[in-house]
Amino acid sequence: MFAGPIEAPRLSFGEKLIAFNWVFVLLISCLACVGAVALYSVAGGAFDPWAETHVIRYCLGLGLLFGVALTDIRIWVRLAYPVYMLALALLVAVPLVGVEAGGAKRWLQIGSFGFQPAELMKVALVLALARYYEWLPAKYISNPLALMVPVLMIMVPVGLVVMQPDLGTAVLFAAVGGGLLFLAGASWIYFVFGIVGVVGAIPFVWSFLHDYQKARVLTFIDPGKDPLGAGYHILQSKIAVGSGGVTGKGYMQGTQSQLNFLPEKHTDFIFTMFAEEMGFVGSVSLLLIYLLVLLSIVYMAVRCRSQFARLVAAGVGITLFVYVFINVAMVMGLVPVVGVPLPLVSYGGTSMITLMFGFGLVLNAHVHRRTQFRRHEIRGV
Amino acid sequence: MFWGSSMADFRSHLIFRRDAALKTRTRARGGLMSICFALGFAMVALRLVTLGIVPGDETLRPKWSQLSSAVHRPDIVDRQGRMLATDILAGSLFANPSRVTDVDTTVEQLATVLKDIKPKVLRKRLEGEGKFAWVARELTPRQQARLHALGLPGLDFVQEAHRVYPAGATASHVLGFVDVDNRGLAGMEKYVDRTGGASSTPSASEEGPSPVRLSVDLSVQHAVHAELADAMKRYKAKAAAGLVLDVHSGEIVALASLPDYDPNRRKQALDKNRFNRVTSGVYEMGSVFKVFTTAGALDSGVTSLDKGYDATHPLKVASFTINDFHAKRRWLSVPEIFIYSSNIGSAKMALDMGRKRHKAFLGRLGLLSRMETEMGPTASPIVPKNWSRLNTITIAFGHGVSVTPLQLASGAATLVNGGYAINPTFLARSREEARIQAKRVIKLQTSDLMRYLLRLNVQKGSGRRADIAGYRVGGKTGTAEKVVNGRYSRSALMTSFLGMFPMDAPEYLVLVVLDEPQRVAETKGQATAGLNAAPTVGRIVERIGPMLGVTPVLERKRKRFDEHVRASY
Repeated sequence: MFAGPIEAPRLSFGEKLIAFNWVFVLLISCLACVGAVALYSVAGGAFDPWAETHVIRYCLGLGLLFGVALTDIRIWVRLAYPVYMLALALLVAVPLVGVEAGGAKRWLQIGSFGFQPAELMKVALVLALARYYEWLPAKYISNPLALMVPVLMIMVPVGLVVMQPDLGTAVLFAAVGGGLLFLAGASWIYFVFGIVGVVGAIPFVWSFLHDYQKARVLTFIDPGKDPLGAGYHILQSKIAVGSGGVTGKGYMQGTQSQLNFLPEKHTDFIFTMFAEEMGFVGSVSLLLIYLLVLLSIVYMAVRCRSQFARLVAAGVGITLFVYVFINVAMVMGLVPVVGVPLPLVSYGGTSMITLMFGFGLVLNAHVHRRTQFRRHEIRGV
Repeated sequence: MFWGSSMADFRSHLIFRRDAALKTRTRARGGLMSICFALGFAMVALRLVTLGIVPGDETLRPKWSQLSSAVHRPDIVDRQGRMLATDILAGSLFANPSRVTDVDTTVEQLATVLKDIKPKVLRKRLEGEGKFAWVARELTPRQQARLHALGLPGLDFVQEAHRVYPAGATASHVLGFVDVDNRGLAGMEKYVDRTGGASSTPSASEEGPSPVRLSVDLSVQHAVHAELADAMKRYKAKAAAGLVLDVHSGEIVALASLPDYDPNRRKQALDKNRFNRVTSGVYEMGSVFKVFTTAGALDSGVTSLDKGYDATHPLKVASFTINDFHAKRRWLSVPEIFIYSSNIGSAKMALDMGRKRHKAFLGRLGLLSRMETEMGPTASPIVPKNWSRLNTITIAFGHGVSVTPLQLASGAATLVNGGYAINPTFLARSREEARIQAKRVIKLQTSDLMRYLLRLNVQKGSGRRADIAGYRVGGKTGTAEKVVNGRYSRSALMTSFLGMFPMDAPEYLVLVVLDEPQRVAETKGQATAGLNAAPTVGRIVERIGPMLGVTPVLERKRKRFDEHVRASY
């Protein structure tokens, strides 16, 4: 075969390690450390029960990350569609055989192991969309028919999680999907129409929302409406964040958090506690670390030669942004409470696995940034 | 093979170029996305700042006007502009019970600061229904700071207008007091409300509403208050009341009634024993009333200073026997009747006047009906329904009609101010203003004679202990037996001294009433007015004379006046 500039050599293990982005690993480790420190404080100054587990999970997550990153990218290309199909099938199975918890069916019970198909879909959607645009010839990118396929690929899982119901994840899917279509290069026009369409659909969607979802939105608009119930989170959270001031009340000194006024302060509302204790300076520093992680993901993405690698990395980046933004905006009363954790800081195994897998994909794209695929390589499935 | 290979190469080349174009676009859009990320974070950071600047959400906080029922009041100042009552803003703590998460902890924490509220009460307030409950009002700044530092959720402060009385109890019965919502409940505070001085919104002007200027002089008020308190202790009296009245303007320069209360502690004011005896208590004033009998008899012309009455024998009316306390058992001239305080003589004078004229005279002086003041009407005098001959006799020496001390003072002022009835006031006014509404009710000549008799009584009679060098005090004592269980009691006395000064041209009237003064060593085991009420008035005159700008007159002149008096009878 002719070995031209588009030859895609398989990288040796050593080459992969050299191409690896160690700074990125350092950055996300910083985040995990912040998480451990915060969880130590939440527990009233103890590693048990959260900080210790958090660190162990992160270390396991690092293993996963390396595994994913160092796997040849072609394997991920080939697996993209099958994983997506599997995730879709599991999502469909949720309303049929899923386990109900807290008014929502989100879980599948496999033996003693609970599993959320939506988590798998977060990765699968990114992979499948990237895979699609790797295949789609550039001239068709803004073709309406060619656009219908990815839109469907996004809308079906969005619809499925809305039915669960899981508003946060639906927003995440839509944001990641939309972002990827945008990055892939679809015409501006579609996005203008898309945004107009979404805004227009709000009254329609509203009628389909569950009462508790409506309550959340209404409570968001006026938290005083139900201060003990749905509005309580937001009110207490705002009080705590506000009381932190510039430099905070000091580590382990947050009254709102330490006195148990904050609900779920080790999971979704950990930022509140962090803001109260570390103040404006601490919160902004944490946000800066996230921004650095995001920018390095974008940087890694645009350097990739293959559309697949670019979009996979960017998709994970968007996912991370949506997580952080929604979580932080939520605890500060900017957006409704939708139950999104703060990546790598909140306590929780599922989101940790998903994120580390995603970061693994980003690093995989980075390691294989010079790789381009031959048609037969991606025609594999 | 070659063809195919070169085709593949060519195609790959095209793909590469297309890819390059695509990559540029993706890169541009990636840059745009990075900007979006940064903007999103900037937005969040901005929110962090706003949350920090404004603790809590302002829109969630009820508006002041929705919360506070407290009204804003004008300042009250004394006649010289000294502050007697003013509004300050004080924090009040309220709870939104539905937002209080942990009642136990909250109560426990609050109790460390609000020590005067029982934890049980706190708990009840926090467990209430609804979204609003007062926890504690009128906090001190220190309390507020400490409560704020607790950082408890569901609690918030509101700044409310809160009344303070810098002079404390000194002028309490004049000022009255306000309720927790800053509404006037008594005294001049109630007057402020009634005349629309209090408003629910802060005043639009910078200085606030113009202050209410009282007739009271804080210095005089303090002296009267202090002397009454001293007299109460000295003579072991149950209560003491007194006032200083400007006889020409009707201004009440000082008014005190002890026991009184600190208007800053309104709970004290609710104590029934701490009522204003000057305006709300009615008493049989006893011998003090003889000033009216004498004046009436003189004014109606039935008697004159050179006339005399037979006081040799007690006066028998129906089953009653009227006797004299200082019985002389002889004929007494009118001045003698006055200075010896002869019941028999006074009764005979009243009888000379006749029932109708006697009653009408008292009525003209405002002694038989309620008196209107800024504080509202005084207590109703107790007047016999059928004014019989016996009534005329007893009323002549001060029994059978009960009046408020304020009415007594006002009526007595007429006797010495030239004969004008002037309604007393608590608001500052000039003598000219008072003269416009003044009504002559007795002859100028009668007034002159009364000045003489009153001065004489202090120089020679029962009021000697009120005689303060230089101030030409005049006055009349009164010792009334209180009615205990429907009978006049020998031991429960009500003593009073009605004083004026300076007697050559009276300006001020000082009335002191002591409730059940005891027979203490200082008063030689006696408890009559001349031994306790009179010296109290003397001490008051001694203090307030200089404050009121009354010029003392040299001793020599006084002696000459003395001789003149002696020569007259």
